[in-house]
Amino acid sequence: MSRFFAGGSDSDDSSSDEDLYGSGSESGSDFSQDEQDGGDDNDDDMSDDSMFADDSDDDSDDDEDLGGKGASYFLKSSTVADSDDEEDTGKKTVLSAKDKLLAELANCSKLIDNGKRINDWVLIQGEFDKLNKAMERFTKQRHGLPPKVYIQCIVELEEFLNTQLEDKAGIKKMNASNSRAFNTVKQRVRKNNKEYEAAIAKYSSGGDVAEEEEEENKEDKPKPRAKDEFVLTAPSQASNEEFTTVGKAGKALVSPTDMFKTLKTVLESRGKKNTDREDQVRQLENLLPSASTVYQKISVYTMLVSTRLDLSSASAALAPENWLKVVGDLNDLLSILEENIDTYHVIETAPEIEDVEKGPVAREDGVKLIPGSVASLVERVDDEFTKALQFMDPHTTEYVDRLRDETKLYQTLLRVQMYIEHVSDEKDTLGLARILVRRVDHLYFKPNNVINMTEQIAWGGVKGDSKATPRPTEKDLTSSTYPTTLISNMCSVLYKQSNTVFRTKAMLAHVYHYALNDEYYKARDMFLMSHLQSSIASAEPQLQVLFNRTLVQLGLCAFRSGLIAEAQQSLQEVCSSPRLKELLGQGLAKYAQAGVVDKQRVLPFHTHINLELLECVFLCSSLLMEIPFMAAHNTSIDAKKKVISKLFRRMLDYHERQVFCGPPENTRDHIMQAAKALQRGDWEAARDLVCAIKIWSLLPNPEAIKAMLTDKLQIEGLRTYLFTYWNHYSTLSLSTLADMFQLPVKDVAAIVAKMIAQEELPGSLDQKTNSVVFTQAVQQTKLQQLAVALSDKVIQLAERNERLVAGGYQFDKMTQPQKRKTQRAR
Amino acid sequence: MEYDLTQKTLPFLDRHLIYPLLQFLKGRGVYNDTELLQLEYDLLKDTNMTDYLVELSKELGQNDADLQAKKENVVKTLAELEEATKPVFEVLENPEVVSELKENKTQNQALLTSKYGLSVEQINLLYKFGQFQYNAGRYQAASDILYHFRALSTDPELVASATWGRFACEILTSQWDSVLEELGKLRDSVDSRSLDPQQQLHQRMWVIHWSLFPFFQNDTKGKDALCDLFFSSSYISTIQAACPWILRYLVVAVIAGGHPHTASVFQKRLKDLVRVVGQEEYEYQDPLTRFVKSLYIDYSFEDAQNQLADCEKVLKQDFFLADSADAFLESARKLMSQVYCRVHQRVDIAQLSQTLNLSQEQGEKWIANLIKDSRMDAKIDESDSTVILNHPSVSVYQQVIEKTKGLTFRSSQVLNQGVTI
Repeated sequence: MSRFFAGGSDSDDSSSDEDLYGSGSESGSDFSQDEQDGGDDNDDDMSDDSMFADDSDDDSDDDEDLGGKGASYFLKSSTVADSDDEEDTGKKTVLSAKDKLLAELANCSKLIDNGKRINDWVLIQGEFDKLNKAMERFTKQRHGLPPKVYIQCIVELEEFLNTQLEDKAGIKKMNASNSRAFNTVKQRVRKNNKEYEAAIAKYSSGGDVAEEEEEENKEDKPKPRAKDEFVLTAPSQASNEEFTTVGKAGKALVSPTDMFKTLKTVLESRGKKNTDREDQVRQLENLLPSASTVYQKISVYTMLVSTRLDLSSASAALAPENWLKVVGDLNDLLSILEENIDTYHVIETAPEIEDVEKGPVAREDGVKLIPGSVASLVERVDDEFTKALQFMDPHTTEYVDRLRDETKLYQTLLRVQMYIEHVSDEKDTLGLARILVRRVDHLYFKPNNVINMTEQIAWGGVKGDSKATPRPTEKDLTSSTYPTTLISNMCSVLYKQSNTVFRTKAMLAHVYHYALNDEYYKARDMFLMSHLQSSIASAEPQLQVLFNRTLVQLGLCAFRSGLIAEAQQSLQEVCSSPRLKELLGQGLAKYAQAGVVDKQRVLPFHTHINLELLECVFLCSSLLMEIPFMAAHNTSIDAKKKVISKLFRRMLDYHERQVFCGPPENTRDHIMQAAKALQRGDWEAARDLVCAIKIWSLLPNPEAIKAMLTDKLQIEGLRTYLFTYWNHYSTLSLSTLADMFQLPVKDVAAIVAKMIAQEELPGSLDQKTNSVVFTQAVQQTKLQQLAVALSDKVIQLAERNERLVAGGYQFDKMTQPQKRKTQRAR
Repeated sequence: MEYDLTQKTLPFLDRHLIYPLLQFLKGRGVYNDTELLQLEYDLLKDTNMTDYLVELSKELGQNDADLQAKKENVVKTLAELEEATKPVFEVLENPEVVSELKENKTQNQALLTSKYGLSVEQINLLYKFGQFQYNAGRYQAASDILYHFRALSTDPELVASATWGRFACEILTSQWDSVLEELGKLRDSVDSRSLDPQQQLHQRMWVIHWSLFPFFQNDTKGKDALCDLFFSSSYISTIQAACPWILRYLVVAVIAGGHPHTASVFQKRLKDLVRVVGQEEYEYQDPLTRFVKSLYIDYSFEDAQNQLADCEKVLKQDFFLADSADAFLESARKLMSQVYCRVHQRVDIAQLSQTLNLSQEQGEKWIANLIKDSRMDAKIDESDSTVILNHPSVSVYQQVIEKTKGLTFRSSQVLNQGVTI
């Protein structure tokens, strides 16, 4: 997972790296670094490459001119080339790109031979480099396996080297530049030869005979092997029709050896520039019918899936039809794997296969291990899906259509999960976790019934059962508790992972799910106990986005449960930020140059949290807290400093400054006018305005929300009224107040009592007349007010000093309710 | 019974400690008596209190053949253990040895091994013997043995275990002073030992539950100590996280604990209590916590009064709280009328007495006492049958003087402390 979210432009590289490994049914481990370097070098040679590409264009034109001859044309030309090399006549023949290269190779090898004779290592080094460069181009243009000339040359060179090495005296005699060159060649040859180990082995086994044969039958018909090579590596420009004919003819001819050769070619050219991926896909598709054994099928499918995935690029997603094909292939692969689950296992930890053609050797229990990773394949498929959604306009029908594919993807995920559970070690849950985290990703933001639907469809098409997430029964799928159990099951596996990304993600998704289902306390306790607040700042952007989403969802949940203060507190930070969209991963930063990576961070539309609803909830919560607060502190000297929500204050100020105030149009207008009404003590107007907001209908059970808001408005209206107007009264009857705010007298009494007890309201209750009696406060002079404020400050200072001396630099934890839950976990 | 906590507290108590609880529940009508008897039997089945078990099984009408066998077995083991630990005791009874023993345990052990031939195994046998005695219900003996063991052993695990054992023994023999001493030791060991957090949490929960015995069966001083223990930051968070039902005991301890301290300590505790009760409202509620909530969070006197009536029932059914019920109700009424008077200017005596569940005459007396005790600025208007309370507003000068009065003293204290550090 982390590898995919590592961010930065390298994400692409890393994923392809993994796939190289994943599909490496025949890849040599030596392939990684050297080849990578080679690839880098190639970038410099771009101009050369394009030149060659042109050449091959010409070539293909010729090809079409010649029409039906097809392959045979090439065969002939290749033989011509061979003879050219041999005779070295320098005829002006139009040679194909391949032929040119072959000629070059042959020339180099000849020069190397010369060098050997006179023991001139400087010459050999130069020629060897040229040889390899030519070889690189050769591979790049996908002419197939390394030509004999090349292999022969490098093998002979190595032999020569070895003999030289034994001749210690000879080495000592060499002059400085010569011996330096000797050493360089020695190292390069070793390194280089490793890459071609397989070919060399083949060469040396039947090498001598073939060599002679080749020399003798120079003018002879090409051997079938060479022919196959061409069938499989027909240039991309070749017309389709032609290709199929050859394919049909070649069907019977594709021997396992050639199949693996092709696979290897494809593998080697992956990740390089100028590779025609579509062509490779076609090649692989053609291999499919001729793959007869299970091992071959698995090899071809793994390669095909990853090659197909290569068709996408960083800035564009895979086309829907291609994506569907990938899913199809992946499912085929899974079917094969499931059928042969007792004989073949594809796992990441499998040892390298020694003989690629014969396949892996069976373990004691008869299971053959193939190195590879189904998990990474399905992960990439998932990534492509997300990418496709990111690049799509969410308001079109295509988007919706595309979303339907999610069920297919989800089902595949489920299958892969079961496969991995079956194949991998009990203790090694990393692979399982990788899949589970994807499943959680697909589920956590969905309401229960949607989760049930998704699960139902997914399990419907899948056989078997899973340990981590047991198959749901009919009853489960209709129950409202199943999704929670499912998410808990999946998360509990993830919590055990050593990788913090898994754990964090699981934790946040879990909390999000609870919050979505109105389990506020559970969600909050989990959230606080996770200690994420302290570490999230250093996490990856994706996780931060998830954190913010969870926090916001928690706030919404608190609001739905009627916990206004908690809601306000949760939403405050995120909602007041001008970067709201960016924080929630629902848009890009303003004025910033948005790179591809930034775009990838934006979540697909269907996972978004409705921003307007969010704003509405936040402003409503702020309204309920801020208005009475403002009324209470209106007179105190530092009224300006005490602010609960700056954003709300700002909006209110702006609203007040307007010359003309029309009827409310949007959510914000409604709330601002409601705030004004509440300030006047007109709670009914406030209620009407707030309830008229249309967006409440997006919440489940809007009527309950409105009723809750009405209750709160009554109470806060009463408080505001008392704060604002108390000094106009000497007594105020409770029943009048109860009438005014349509609250029971008992509640009014309790509210007033609370205000008196907390010294918010100067006055007391008279039980006999059932009224509030206000003590007319002596108006304090400015000096007196300041004196009181000063004495408060002095006391604070004294207390702080005491705490410092008491040894703990820590403040009294008990007075910090926020930290409370953090402590709990200890 | 809705608010019975027995089932919640049982998992955190030792079987011997559960026994008194079951005895208490008998005949309260909360649970079926035969079930209780069976429970008691099951509870004690694994102990060595064979004689009592035989009686119980007779009551339940069960065959006691096994028990007889067990009894013999117990007697035999007891004799064996006694025999085995004899040398240890002999050595320990030697006054010479006692004088030679020093603070350092490792040295002591070396001394005992070399001079008197006491091996570590023999000392560990002592532990076994103590446990056996405890299981047999001979707490006093067990306590003594464990005391000796602890003095000699160097194994921290066993010593900790022995401390728990002694704690239980002292509780069961009602030796409150030594109970508190043991509790102090336990607290130290639980807090200091580097356990993993979960284990520590469990141990704290045990400490919390066990300490209910000494604190509630003791006099009011116990409640005070309980408040100190439970309000210490690590314990209050344990209560909040793992066993919120303890809040009930905390409520009683704070409210019924009387006001042995200055008012400020009491106010601080009350404030903490109100905060905790408010925070845990969603996790635990019973009439007692609801009383606190309605009085101090909602200021709804009507609710508080209703809850108070329920409180009485709950208190009477609780093993730990039954004795404190009256004190609690008395205190609760006082607090309620205090808050009531604070927000009211004129109070109808009839109504107040009703709120306090008292007759009018009692109410008047009550009010008069309250005014006298708390030195409120209040007068009873007999003809109107009301109480008039004055809430003089404090002048600004007074306020500032009040606030800054203690500052010099506090600062000098800070300075002193700073110097000593």
